[in-house]
Amino acid sequence: MAKKSSAIALSDRLSPFQKIYLWLIAGFILGPFIPLIIQSFAFRWAWPDLLPGTWWLEQREKSPLPLAWDYVVSPYSQVWEATLNTVFIGSVVTVICLFICLPAARVLARENFRGKPTFEFFLSMPLIVPEAAIGIALLMIFIHVGLAGTYTGIIIVHLIPTIPYMIRMLTAVYQGLGRDFEEQAMILGASRWQIMRMVTLPMLLPGVVAGALFTFLVSTNIFLLTFFMGQGKIITLPTLLFSKISGGTLDASAAGITLVVTVPGIILLLITERFIKEEAFGKGFGN
Amino acid sequence: MTSQSQELLRLRREKRLMWLQLLPVMIVLVFLFGGALVLGVAQSLGFAPWFGVNTFPDTTYFRALWGNASFWTSLWLTLYYAVAATVLSLVFGVLLALALVRTFPSKTLYKYLYKLPLMIPYTVGIALAVIMLGNGGMLSRLMAFSGIIDDPSQFPQILMTHMGWGIIAVYVWKQTPFVALTVYAVLLGVGRETEEAAAILGANKWQIFFQVTLPQILPGIISSTLIIFAFNIGAFEAPFILGGGFPDTLPVVAWRYFNDADYTLQLQGMATVVSIALIAGLILYSYLAIYRRYERRIGRQ
Repeated sequence: MAKKSSAIALSDRLSPFQKIYLWLIAGFILGPFIPLIIQSFAFRWAWPDLLPGTWWLEQREKSPLPLAWDYVVSPYSQVWEATLNTVFIGSVVTVICLFICLPAARVLARENFRGKPTFEFFLSMPLIVPEAAIGIALLMIFIHVGLAGTYTGIIIVHLIPTIPYMIRMLTAVYQGLGRDFEEQAMILGASRWQIMRMVTLPMLLPGVVAGALFTFLVSTNIFLLTFFMGQGKIITLPTLLFSKISGGTLDASAAGITLVVTVPGIILLLITERFIKEEAFGKGFGN
Repeated sequence: MTSQSQELLRLRREKRLMWLQLLPVMIVLVFLFGGALVLGVAQSLGFAPWFGVNTFPDTTYFRALWGNASFWTSLWLTLYYAVAATVLSLVFGVLLALALVRTFPSKTLYKYLYKLPLMIPYTVGIALAVIMLGNGGMLSRLMAFSGIIDDPSQFPQILMTHMGWGIIAVYVWKQTPFVALTVYAVLLGVGRETEEAAAILGANKWQIFFQVTLPQILPGIISSTLIIFAFNIGAFEAPFILGGGFPDTLPVVAWRYFNDADYTLQLQGMATVVSIALIAGLILYSYLAIYRRYERRIGRQ
């Protein structure tokens, strides 16, 4: 009896319930994309048809104005501008974040000092103080300093939600690294800079790449802070999509833009899956 | 003697160097984050010289805000959406993580698939909710196809109601993977030895889950739910687009005050913002305190 139950409890296979559950999750996550793709190619899709009555391509020649995908790729939709802005802001935020977090993560991983728990708590504050609260309060300051509606302003606010993640991931890397190699290099007479360049950095690199990718990802997904700080002057992919769907309806061109906004996420997913192991994510979030 | 003072000097220099390395992060966070908090609080108490308003300290704005019945409805709605979505995401996420640690043929595919919502903005989730759950959406078409309804107006309204199914659906869609990822990572780190031991000692699968696995993944559960709950309380875009209109959730209320032509309402908006932060802080603090007590009771920490 005991043997039987242990066999069940320890099974490494999926139970029937889990099999069904995984199917449901796949449907829940991916399912809604199917009508979205169809919608983006539709010209007329009347209720209650399950497929559009007229497709975009059929009407394309007759229309004086760009339709659906023609519109999405045309300059009118601002998709290209938003993509460039998103990538630009994300890259700059990643670089700055990396530079200010590396030294701090080193100290946090290796030193013990008075006030360290308080400092660590303060570092994770941006994750638990509601974004709307920070965003609106900062907007007040930025309007008076003249940073609202500028790239600098947006880049600065993007640092707030990205720093906690970057610090956590880099601290985990430093903790795993140990000190021995650096000490050996020091004994062999290497200077601080040489140690940094030739010993520490190469060993840190995988973690740095993971942290950078993750920061880039967080930055490209931020809506609220960009929306508040951008003041409508600087648009990124999330804010562009917001302005298209804020009426609560979704036409063919909005569906197309939604798909375009999804593409960077898919690319990042394919890249991060190779660089970031689940364990690293866990170190970032686990405690 | 001299060597001792030299040692002291060296220590002091190292200490300075250490703080120097922490400095950049501290500057950014203290100035931006701390500055925003201090100014926000000051402003909500009547300090706004740039509008010609300076009656600090002045609780009129809080009293006006809290004295309004719609504030409490807004607060209730904000908390309801946040709690419902957090609980659902937690349950779905833990179930997903438990399935993902098993071995199955399409595992690699799933490891890509379930992370997709994490990689894309909330606004995409909102667009998906509109096309699936809207009155003329896919669900409504499917219901018409199977003959349950024959007019879009008969479709039970899901979006833009105060029940907030649409908002909750978007949050759950985005946050189930987040919980699953965190818990999955913890599960990988823990390994299966303790579960095996429990099984050998004759525990059934429910006992194993509740008495062995759950306590082990609890830190992951706590941190991920903390993060998503805090996000949900401060979220703006989903309630703005998919919500039921007046009374809105608190972040939307704050935004409306803030964009009002009457700029003195900005102070009231700031009082709203401070209220959100206070309430979120209070809830998260109690949540953590309860968890710490539990940890101490079972003898961890």
